[in-house]
Order: sequence, then structure tokens, then C-alpha cells
Amino acid sequence: MHSPELLKGTLQTIILKVLKDNGKMYGYEITQLVNELSAGRILVTEGALYPTLHRLEADGHLKTEVVTIGRRIRKYYSLTPAGKSLAKERVNDFVDFIRTMSVVLQVKMSS
Amino acid sequence: MPQLTNDQIGYIIKDLHHRGLVLESLQEEIIDHVSSSVEERMQNGARFIEAYSEVLKSFGDSSGLVEIQKQTLLNENQKPGIMLKNYLTIAWRTLAKQRFYTIINVAGLATGVAACMVILLFVLHELNYDKHHDKASRIYRINGEIKFGANHYQLAVAPAPLADALLQDFPEIESAVRFRGRGSSLVKRSETADNIKENNIIWTDSTFFKIFSVQVLEGNPANALKDPNSIAISRKIALKLFPEGNALGQTLILDNETANKVTAVFEDMPESGHFFYDILVSLSGLDEAKSTNFLSNNFNTYLLLKEGADPKTLESKFPGFIVKYVGPQAAQILGGEFTMEKFKEAGNKLEYTLMPLGDIHLHSDRTAELRANGDITYVYLFAAIALFILAIACINFMNLSTARSSNRAKEVGVRKVMGSLRSHLVRQFLTESVVLSFISFLLSIALAYFFIPIFNELAQKNLSLPLEEPGFYAMILAATVVVGLLAGLYPSFFLSAFKPVNVLKGHVSLGMKSGIIRSALVVFQFVISIFLIVGTITVYRQLNYIQNKKVGFEKDQVIVIQDAYALGENLRGFKDEVKKNSFILNGTISGFLPVNSWRNDNTHWPDGGQPTQENMVGLQAWRVDHDYVETMGMKIKVGRFFSPDFPSDSSAVVLNESAIDQFGFTENPLGRKIATFTGNNPDGSPDMNSIRAYTVVGVVEDFHFESLKQNITPLGLYLNQSDGSVVFRFEAKHTQDVIENIEKTWKAMAPGQPFQYSFLDEDFSRMYDNEQRLGKTFGVFAGLAIVIACLGLFALTAFTAEQRTKEIGIRKVLGASVSSIVLLLSREFGKLIIIAFLLASPLAWLAVNWWLKNYTFKVEVGLLVYLIAGGFAFLVAWLTMGYQSIRAATSNPVQSLRSE
Repeated sequence: MHSPELLKGTLQTIILKVLKDNGKMYGYEITQLVNELSAGRILVTEGALYPTLHRLEADGHLKTEVVTIGRRIRKYYSLTPAGKSLAKERVNDFVDFIRTMSVVLQVKMSS
Repeated sequence: MPQLTNDQIGYIIKDLHHRGLVLESLQEEIIDHVSSSVEERMQNGARFIEAYSEVLKSFGDSSGLVEIQKQTLLNENQKPGIMLKNYLTIAWRTLAKQRFYTIINVAGLATGVAACMVILLFVLHELNYDKHHDKASRIYRINGEIKFGANHYQLAVAPAPLADALLQDFPEIESAVRFRGRGSSLVKRSETADNIKENNIIWTDSTFFKIFSVQVLEGNPANALKDPNSIAISRKIALKLFPEGNALGQTLILDNETANKVTAVFEDMPESGHFFYDILVSLSGLDEAKSTNFLSNNFNTYLLLKEGADPKTLESKFPGFIVKYVGPQAAQILGGEFTMEKFKEAGNKLEYTLMPLGDIHLHSDRTAELRANGDITYVYLFAAIALFILAIACINFMNLSTARSSNRAKEVGVRKVMGSLRSHLVRQFLTESVVLSFISFLLSIALAYFFIPIFNELAQKNLSLPLEEPGFYAMILAATVVVGLLAGLYPSFFLSAFKPVNVLKGHVSLGMKSGIIRSALVVFQFVISIFLIVGTITVYRQLNYIQNKKVGFEKDQVIVIQDAYALGENLRGFKDEVKKNSFILNGTISGFLPVNSWRNDNTHWPDGGQPTQENMVGLQAWRVDHDYVETMGMKIKVGRFFSPDFPSDSSAVVLNESAIDQFGFTENPLGRKIATFTGNNPDGSPDMNSIRAYTVVGVVEDFHFESLKQNITPLGLYLNQSDGSVVFRFEAKHTQDVIENIEKTWKAMAPGQPFQYSFLDEDFSRMYDNEQRLGKTFGVFAGLAIVIACLGLFALTAFTAEQRTKEIGIRKVLGASVSSIVLLLSREFGKLIIIAFLLASPLAWLAVNWWLKNYTFKVEVGLLVYLIAGGFAFLVAWLTMGYQSIRAATSNPVQSLRSE
């Protein structure tokens, strides 16, 4: 499992990318999907997820949609146009970052 | 996948709430998340309660939940604008809750701002006179000052040849233009058409269009007025006289005499110029314009200086210029040994100076102005009043906000305890005041819209709100913020400075007694109000004094028929015909009326000697007929008036008392002789061979023929033709009959000529139009100031009463009477008003004396006026307070005491 320290700056990128690929998702779904994609090596904690989601929504990158299921209310998140371009930008930035890191750390990526 | 039952979900909801999860938007999500997570674990065989506690652990239990909630809130609120929205919401709620005070505040501020706006428009309008001329900065008018013996003239006119001589001698002058006003004229298109009377007509040089920016619509501006008998007319006149639209090249007949060719049509001149004409006639046709006489001043002369020329340098060369040109001509008349040095040594003065075009409207009040000018004093005065009113309105706002502070002290305390910084509170209160000022400004625009026609009526102006200019809104917006901040500054700092401990313990008792500043502000408001009331009363009393002063003639029931020269040969016949009417008591033909107009003084001296500097008297020579004195109701003091029984009266004169004094004829005036020139040389200088002597046959009591600002100057009445007007005295009550009758006679004897009449008493009061306008405007604004001040006082008393409800209740229970309670509540403010009165009186006294200094004949402003003003302010204030006080005093004490 990756240390939370490493993951700190990447949460927004992960959320944006996941939403970009999967359309609308709710919070729990996001944690599960990330868990699955990373084979359990990245754990998105609830403590970090919800503040980030709300922040992205307040900034206008995400829009929400509410569905009532019995007594439960499920809130689906999806990207706004602004969010879509942000997602792209963030992913590109991150790829750039990895390249730089590989040069800095003198390691070869098996890509 | 197993589904959670409703009970289980209910449990989760309750438990999470219990653990401190309250943020609605987050709550729902977390519940869903937890439920999903629990379901998954239950699928793997866990029991509900175990699964739930595991999931909770992954959230970090209660503290973790609260942390998430806190982080979410923080993240959400880091957006700019949210705080502002919060401020606005709170501001709105507070204002809505305190509706009474809000309405008073808004009403006061809106009225104040509207008044301010109107006055500001007026001030701007006044300051922008003549700014529409492109070359305004290079245009100067020649002003003349002549002091000679007892005469002292400040002239807006100069001699006819001056302009040409200046152009010749000083290369820094690019061009010059002269105006010669000759009163109104009758204008018609052809011999057969009806005359119309045109007041806005002037004779001018062809350089007019070159110097002043008046747009020529038709014709060539370069040579429009070059030829004699050429004429330029405004679009308005062109439309009126030539509706078919081919004005150019047509003929106009002036005063039934000269035919003039229309050579240009120009755009109507703007109202904001120190001259305003509809018809310009070429000067080149007038002999007068070619005169070489430097001693008679009749032409308003304007110079256009070259770029970069310095007016001061030019001005400094004028004395030499005067010696060169005026000196020889003066010597010719005043005897050989005349020199300019001797002339000046004797205390005389002859000076020409330059006045910038932009200064004329507000800084010039000279003889023979082209138009009645404004006065910079009034501009200052009005600006000051505007500021006063705005100040009063702002003070209301401040007072009400601070007074209400005790109600809000708890709010401040709680906010501070919750972690509010002082700067937050300041911002909160400032937002409130800006919101209030914004509402007021919106309202004030609407109010100003209604005020402006009233003001226009009062000030005889033509102002309008510049609603289509974006600059206006920018200014309003800027003013909104400035006034909002200004008014909110003191309250916001005052309120935010409260110590939470004291406030929450209830130690801040801010009744009436607190706040020296608040009292000072109330005093200030009333100082201004009382000051304005005294001003208004004084202006009205002076006006009244002038109107009722014995002016030396009977100005009532006298009708003046103007432009009598239009009658031509029928003049005498007209007078005799009208006099046949039994309501007409008397009639006289003369253009000289005892109301002010531009008249010349002529040089006279006691007969038998040469005219010298010492013995000359400037005398107004009025040409009248036999019935003049009787029709006007003047009194002969010594001797007699002209009579048909004395054919020799054609060389007789009747002097007024001032003239007798000046000539030194105090003893035995009758039979003395005075001499004067009766003709001019072709160059315009007095003809030495035309000297004629007149015998004094009577002395008429001094009567006022100028504004009461001036002294009565020497005057002589001569028996001679003057066809300016016919004047009739008629019986009261028959005014309408008289007018109809005269008009009928006029129509019969002067067909096609406009019938124009006025009443002498109206002409007389027209001399004081300025004062009347000042009085009315002053009155209106003084009233406004008082209303706004009282609005504030009203709210302030209401507040005090509210604050002291319990005290009043207890007092009543203990047996206090209604009157004692009313007295108790009024006393505080009563004291303030007395202080205000003591402060305002000396100020008003100074101002009133300063204003009355302009008048030679003035009313005494006694102590009574001040007492009336003070009393009035006190009464109005007391009435506003009284209502609140009585309401508080008569309320049932049980009500106020029970509501703990």
C-alpha cells in the first residue's frame, strides 16, 4: 500500500480522472473503484474524499445529481466542462511529473 | 448484496447525527457511503452492528467525522464572495427588522441626497458657462473702469474705435469682435406682414463666427455679416419666420425701417452662455460703429489672443495706449492743460482691463452686460447649503446607528466571543450602511427627478438630470459608496470597539446620556437649521422692505405700453384717445421710467463758466412731457413742473434733490442755470458749439430709479420727445377693462404692431428677481434641512422612549404625571436646541450683515428675527419629540413592566 504522504497531492487528479472515465459516480463508488484499479494499493480515505469533492464542486468543476433510494439519498458527481479540461490538465501535469521524477531519481520506468 | 432495512438506516442516521455530523449536504452522502460500506461487509458475513463499527473506525470515529465536516466547510467557504453574501444577508435582515429606523434613515438620506444632487447640477451648470467655445481660453473681454468726479462706472463696454486701435498696436491680438445692444426690435418679413418683437437681437462685427463657436447651418460664416444690412438668424427664428425653409437670401425689416438680407442661419445658441441671441445684425451698417470717439463707451468688445500670448503682458501696455488715444480727445473737451497725470492726481481713473471669457458669467456684474449674469457668491452659497443638507442627513444616519448600538451590543459581544475579528465587524457594519446608502441613492434619483422642475421654476433655470450619460451613474455609484462609508465609519468603529465581557454582562448602557458626540451632532444639525431660518427671514424682510419702501413715486395702478415708437405719428393721438376712457386718470409719453435700465449720464455744469473737472456733474437727463410727474405720482418740492402755459419751458429743467446738492444750488435753486452739450461732432466727441443752458424751474423730491442697492444719483427732467413708452395711471378694480380698451385703441392706431404692456409695480419688483429667487430657494432648502433634522430627532426620541420604557413604567407606577414624563423626555433635547441657538445666532448675525452690506437702504434685523428662528426650530423639534414623549408617557405601565 502506498503511503498517504505520497498520495497527498494526487487525490484531486485521481477523482477528476475517474469521473472523466466513468461519467457520474457517488462517493463510495469512487473509493471502491480506485481500490480496484490500484489492486488495493491506493486507499482513498473518506476524510480526504468528501472535503475534496465539496471543494471541487464549490469551484465549479463538478456538478451533482441527487437520487433517493428509500431512506437513503445518493449524490452522484460528474464533471462540468470546466472540470473536464481541468482533468486533462491535471493528468498531463502528473505524467510530466513522473517523467521528471524518473530523471531526477535515475530510474528506468518499465513502460 | 444484502440491503439494509429502514430500521438499520434509521439507526445509522441517528447515530451519525449524535456523533456531531450536522452539515446537511455532507450528512446525506456520508450516510449513503456508510450504508454501502456496511452492506459490503455484511455480504462477507459480518453482522450489521460489527460492520457498522468497522466502517465507523475507517472514518476515524466521532472525531474523524467532525474533522471531515470541518474540512468540507472550510473548503467550501474558501470561495471569495461568500463572505460578502453573508454580510449582505445579515445587513438586509437587520435593516428589515428595524424597519422604522431604516425608513427614517432612507427617507432622510434620500431627501438630502436628492437636494444635494439638484444643487450640484445647478453649480455645475453655472461653472460651465461659455465653455462650449473652442477658443474660450484665448477670448477676453475688455472691461472699463471710469472714475470721474462723483461718477464711478464699472463697464462691460468700451469705445467703438478701441478694437481696431488695439488690433493695430498689438500684434498678439489675433482678432476682435464688438457687440452693440440697442434693446429689442420689431421684426417682420415684408412691408405687409405683422411685426414680431424680438428681444434677443444684437449688432455685431463679421468676426463673430470666427471668434465664437456658433455653428453656421446655412451661409458662409467668413463673410456672413460683412456687408451693411446683412443679418444672421438662429434656426429657431428661421423656422418661425420662414417655415418653408429658404431663409437664406430673404429680407427682414427691422423696426419698420431697414431692410436686411439674411446671410446666415446658425444653430440656436446654448442657454449656458453669457450672451444669447437669435438675431445678429451687421455692425458695418451703423455710423456709430465707425465713430472715432474714445470717450463714449457703448461696445462690448472681445479679443481673441494668439496662441501663447500673455493677457497680463498685454494688459500692462494699456495705460500707455490710453494716453496715446484717449488723452488727446479728453484734452480737447476738458481744456488744453489736461494730461492723464493730472487727471489721475485728482483721484480720477480711466482703465481698461481684460476679463477671461470663462469668468464673465460668475464674476462680472457691470453696467451694460449682454445678459444678466450669475454670481459666484450664490454658487458658493448653494454649494454650502448642499453640503449642509448632506451633512445633516449623514448625521442622522450616524446618530441612529450609534443610538441603536445598545440593541446590537449583544450581537457584537456574541460575534466577538465566537471569534469574529474587529475588522469583520467593521466590514459588517459598513456593508449595512452602504446597502442603506444604495437604497437611498436609488430613491434620491427618483426624488431629484421630481425636484428639478420645482427648482427650475425657482431658479429660472433649465436643468435636467443627465440620465443618458454613463458618467452620471458612475458618479452616483461612487457617491453611494463614499456616503455609505462616511456615514457608517463612526458607527462601525464605535460598535466594534465594545468589549464582549462588558456587553454580555449588560454593562453597556447607551441611553441618551451617553455620547457627547451624538449630542454635538444634534447641536450641529440645529445650528445649521436655525442659521438657514434666519437667512430666509432676513431675505424676505429685506424684500418686503424694498417693496414697501416709499420710493418717491406711486408705482401701483400704472400701466406701461411698450415700444410706443411703433405708433409713429399717432403717438400723441393715441395718448389722448386712451385718456378719454373714464378709468384712466392720467397719461404721459416717455421712455424714461423709474426702474433700472442702462442709461447714460451726461456732463453738466453750472452755466456761465467753462466745464472743468471740479464743476462737472454727471446727470441723467430724462426726456418727459407735461404730465410726467403727475402720472408717476412724484412730488414737486420747490417751484413747479412743466406746464403748457409756459412756452419757455423747452429750455427749462426740473432737478431732483441730489442734483441740487451736487450743483451746490441748495439755496434759491429756482432760476439758476445749468449748461450741457447738446450735439456731437461727426467723430462722436461733444460739439463745443452745441452748449445750451437750461433754467431750473422746479425741484422734484428724490425718487428711486435704480435698485435700492444704489444711492439716488443726480437727475434732470427736460421737456422733450421720448417715444419709448406711454404710461397711464388708472383706477384700481378696472384693470381688465383698461387693458382691453387700450389694446383696442392700439390695434386701431398701430395696425400690425405687437401690443406689449407691463405694470410699473411688476417692473419694479423685477429689479429684485435675484433676491426673490434667493429668498424662495433659501426657504425651500432651509425647510428641507429642518425636515431632515427633525426626522432624525423624531427617530432619536422614539429610540430614547423605547430605551426608557421600563423607567417610565416605574415612574408612573410611583405616581409620576404624564406632563412630568413628557418634560423628562424633552429636556435633554431642549438643552441641545438652546445650545444650538446660542451658537447659530452670532454666525447668522455675521452672515446677514455681510449680505445686507450690498444695500444702501436696508431693513433692521432685530433680535426678534433670531428669537423667531430659534423659537421655530424649538417648536418643530418639540412637536416631533412631543408625539413620541406623550406616546411613551401615556402608555400603560403594566404593559412595559410585565414584558420582562
